[in-house]
Amino acid sequence: MESARHVFRVLFLLVVGIAIFSIGRTFLVPKSYGAYGPYRFDNVAEQAAIRLPRHGGAAACGACHPERLKALSAGAHRTVACEVCHAPLALHVRDGAKVADMAVDRSFTMCARCHRRLEGRPAAFPQIVLAQHQGGVEGTACIECHDPHGPKL
Amino acid sequence: MDETQRDAPASAPDPVGRREFLSSALRLGGGVLVFLAGAPAIGEAGEGYDWTQHRWAYLIDTEKCIGCGSCVRACKAENDVPDGFFRTWVERYVVSPEASHVDSPKGGLEGFPPIQTPFAPTKSFFVPKMCNHCKETPCVQVCPVGASYRTQDGVVLVDGERCIGCGYCVQACPYGSRFLSPETHTAEKCTWCYHRITKGLRPACVEVCPTATRQFGDMRREDDPVRLAIARGRVSVLQPHLLTEPQCFYLALDKEVR
Repeated sequence: MESARHVFRVLFLLVVGIAIFSIGRTFLVPKSYGAYGPYRFDNVAEQAAIRLPRHGGAAACGACHPERLKALSAGAHRTVACEVCHAPLALHVRDGAKVADMAVDRSFTMCARCHRRLEGRPAAFPQIVLAQHQGGVEGTACIECHDPHGPKL
Repeated sequence: MDETQRDAPASAPDPVGRREFLSSALRLGGGVLVFLAGAPAIGEAGEGYDWTQHRWAYLIDTEKCIGCGSCVRACKAENDVPDGFFRTWVERYVVSPEASHVDSPKGGLEGFPPIQTPFAPTKSFFVPKMCNHCKETPCVQVCPVGASYRTQDGVVLVDGERCIGCGYCVQACPYGSRFLSPETHTAEKCTWCYHRITKGLRPACVEVCPTATRQFGDMRREDDPVRLAIARGRVSVLQPHLLTEPQCFYLALDKEVR
């Protein structure tokens, strides 16, 4: 009988251990953990919904400003997204309604980021050497002469 | 066990053998574990988005990049990237056969200033960098809490809720694509704008790139331009010797670029 008691003790401890393990596990391991791998699967949906997209793209801008989009599409800046010079769409429109004026960067710095002559740029890309440019003074707004939506030389 | 077999009543037509008993016990044990873990919540990643239908890839043509930094600014605006940290950045390489110079002032956030090098450069170019969303990613392997993972559509993400901010992944990434956010104190990185691509939009950096240097595509679509470019063109990846299998592919990558 002595041996039976030993066996019982071991079995009892085992059952208690399993119970503690399983109860602890349900509290410690997140619900969707391990569904597709060693990570919390719910996070995938959370990442997809982490915030609303802020950049809308040219088509979204064109929904309200078709004439601007048309002008842009005809010129050399057709590949430049509206939101490069203007702010992201979400700062201007929310749920289809205007929430704030659209910020515009009209500065010389803005134009220079792409068009100042710079080591590293592809040679074929139009670049300006200020010293050789029409009255080229650093800081003068380029868009006083050039139309940003349809720039011509 | 032998005893059990010997003691089995003679009337039992099929005594349970040791091998059979062990295998059944293991199977039962496994089943209990799966049951205790709770039935996995299987569903869609986003509303109406099926991640098995996509496998995203990124293509960067370094010959087109003008170093304007629009991508870096768009990324910051789209993802609230903390000041001084970058999920994507642009590097400038100024190279001659004898010497080379690499810079990335503020990650290219404000574009690039003119540069004077002590040597006469024979070539120079810009290289946009970001998370390579590797297939065999070292950053996921080292995460001790299962916070980093790779989705089935091929995006490497960080679960901010599980991340303990230990920074192992920051050190493990050979491309320097991760950082510990000073705001959340968890690891952050490029997500290929997962909140955009699951809604059919392109990542913000691709959206604003004025020269189509950056392109985003779906390898599961036969006619996808990026898939075709990768399938037919001569593409390379950063640090291929590490065998991380990056999913950001580069065109016209120079030997100077690491």
